[in-house]
Amino acid sequence: MLDMITKFSACCKAAGLKVSPLEVIDCMSQLRHVDATDEAAFRTLLMANFVKSRRDQPRFLEIYKLFFHELRTSFQDHNEETTDDPDTPKQKRVKEIIERIREDLGMEAEALDNLLDYLGGDPEDFLSEVQEIHNMVEQRSLAIKVKSNMGQLSNRLSVMLKINQIRQKALQLAGELDAPGDTFTRKEIEAYFGTMLDRSFDLLTRDKRPDNVALKEVSRTDPRFLDIGEKPFATLTPFEMERTKEVTDRLVRKLKDLATRRYAARNKGVLDIRKTLRRAGRFQGVPLELHFKNKPLRKGKIVALCDVSGSVWSVARFMLAILYSLQECFNGIKSFAFVSDVAEITPLFRDNPVNDAIEKVFSESGIDTRMLTDYGSSFVRFRERHMQELSTKTTLLIIGDARSNYQNPHQEILEEMRDRCRRVIWLNPEPMNTWNSGDSEMFTYRAHCNEIRPCRNLNQLVTFIEELVL
Amino acid sequence: MEFRNVEHVIEALSASRYIPSTEIATVVYLAAVTQKPILVEGPAGVGKTELAKSISLCMDRPLIRMQCYEGLDEAKALYEWEYAKQLLYTQMVRDKIHSVVDSADTLSEAVEKISEQEDAFFSERFLQPRPLLKAIQSEKPVVLLIDEVDKSDPEFEAFLLELLSDFQVSIPEIGTIKAKTIPFVLLTSNNYRDMSDALKRRCIHLYIDYPAIETEKEIVRLKIPGIEEALLDKLVRTVSNMRALDLKKRPCISETLDWAQSLMVLQADSITPALLASTLNMLIKFKSDAELVKERLETIIA
Repeated sequence: MLDMITKFSACCKAAGLKVSPLEVIDCMSQLRHVDATDEAAFRTLLMANFVKSRRDQPRFLEIYKLFFHELRTSFQDHNEETTDDPDTPKQKRVKEIIERIREDLGMEAEALDNLLDYLGGDPEDFLSEVQEIHNMVEQRSLAIKVKSNMGQLSNRLSVMLKINQIRQKALQLAGELDAPGDTFTRKEIEAYFGTMLDRSFDLLTRDKRPDNVALKEVSRTDPRFLDIGEKPFATLTPFEMERTKEVTDRLVRKLKDLATRRYAARNKGVLDIRKTLRRAGRFQGVPLELHFKNKPLRKGKIVALCDVSGSVWSVARFMLAILYSLQECFNGIKSFAFVSDVAEITPLFRDNPVNDAIEKVFSESGIDTRMLTDYGSSFVRFRERHMQELSTKTTLLIIGDARSNYQNPHQEILEEMRDRCRRVIWLNPEPMNTWNSGDSEMFTYRAHCNEIRPCRNLNQLVTFIEELVL
Repeated sequence: MEFRNVEHVIEALSASRYIPSTEIATVVYLAAVTQKPILVEGPAGVGKTELAKSISLCMDRPLIRMQCYEGLDEAKALYEWEYAKQLLYTQMVRDKIHSVVDSADTLSEAVEKISEQEDAFFSERFLQPRPLLKAIQSEKPVVLLIDEVDKSDPEFEAFLLELLSDFQVSIPEIGTIKAKTIPFVLLTSNNYRDMSDALKRRCIHLYIDYPAIETEKEIVRLKIPGIEEALLDKLVRTVSNMRALDLKKRPCISETLDWAQSLMVLQADSITPALLASTLNMLIKFKSDAELVKERLETIIA
């Protein structure tokens, strides 16, 4: 049993789940208490130990099914299980064929090793290869002049070609090795290779799209400003712009008040007995001066990433203005702008009045706003340079429409970012019903956010800011 | 009471008015026999806290509940020095100080003698145990519920680690206090933020979702005996349909129960759009949600 559990845990790890030795030990010790032949109990036990977040459950169940059902049932002939030999004749034949493929392909076979192991019933390395492809982050090579973000796809393609290569070879060999007296037919062997290769193809092409049930999706807000509240930012007239600005200014003032109140309240902590007693010494032991444990204010940090490309141009200015105000109120805010590259704009905001600052984001930040938006490569750059900004106290705020021009979205970096910070909030200036259309990757990214909301008019913005801080 | 096996857990929990799925029962049983904490996740109102209450009821252990919130620190969760008592004590000591130093010949000897008394301020005498310390100091094993642990700060979470893995706490002034009895620990989380890997590793994980229609019916039947079967079926399906809508707050089990109760009071025998509209307050907590439901009354009613 230990052998099987460790092998299964290796497969889970290969597929990207975090399973530590302690969890395997726990599993083994718990197995004594349940009936392992009761599948529901067995699966619950494994799941309770190997999966520690709802988001990983679907991936776990997939591997569970693959490992304990598909691989096992297709590899074992139940009616032949009674023999002493661990391998049934059919298994032997499968192994023979796999060996023949290795011999025939010679040097080439090395590249196929993982896949051949998988066919022989040992999926760990293949799963890990697939996982790597899904998680691949390209290194920008200087030799490549054309900027491309498609490496994941091309790697996938090469494995697909390998699968096809093996499929042809296996079918051919299955025929050749047909010997008289076999208890199984050639068809069975062919079917075995067929289903296994189909499954590997499936594993490869199916993107892991984790389920995100805990996601807070705010799609509606209570209307407050009836006239300008519901109008998209992009369509405001200059007069309405002015009014909107008034409202946001008021909001910012409210935020500032709140911040001051927090400072005022911070001295109402617990009585600091040591300090009080120490000071009491001056007054012959009478505690005249009370000292409180001043609690340092917990400074929540905000890291904001703002898409400033053409597609969100009209909204970007607004968002930058809001970001500017937030940065005025709180000192823990770092702001970044991106299109296909990321640049920090915190100093621009700090040193300039609002309108100049926004102009300078477009002219001086070093971001080429004419480039195609590429969220994936922006994330890669962010990870390279600014990942240390994210800590367990950080709220990551991403503002953008998630339209990435069909480039590799690199959602695994967003996942990594989420793992490092307190929560991820995504504000999308597009209405919700367009999120799954065209090149929008919103549904891909959604899996890794703690909260997503459309933010395209004043009402939505006001509600968001209030909920963020109040 | 100790659990004998998974079936026994199901029986015992049902007897204490909680209907568990086999999965919940298995995890509870495993946690009980291996003395591991359970990290319970799931949307609000599916009965995470209720599970802890029922476990305490059927294991016949007292329930100690610790509600987490932002800014919670160890003084509120673990222990606090009773400063009023300490201050009184200083006053008493001031009067007695002459008798302490009387026998001293030199100044340094007197200082030495006074400093010997100093530790008295930070002894267990002045320690006021808070929920966590109470749980591990209790002579009788307890059920410890650390509710909404995701609302607490990362610092607090780090501080829980020692408690959860070794069932001991360190108090700088006194030293380490080891548990007298091992509590049955449940941590609940609404996924406001992700918990650290270290914490997850120390717990076994349980996800509770909204109950299946049959289970929810059984719960209503249990809590509101005598409800008519046809009405019950319609009621539970209607709530289930409502959960599929884009609401700010989806109705949870306790709201289903409230609604069922009010329908019983109104002596309703069927659910009509007009009836739903007039009793909507029992299920919906936001004005904008209510408006959305009213727009779709016809399609919601099963």
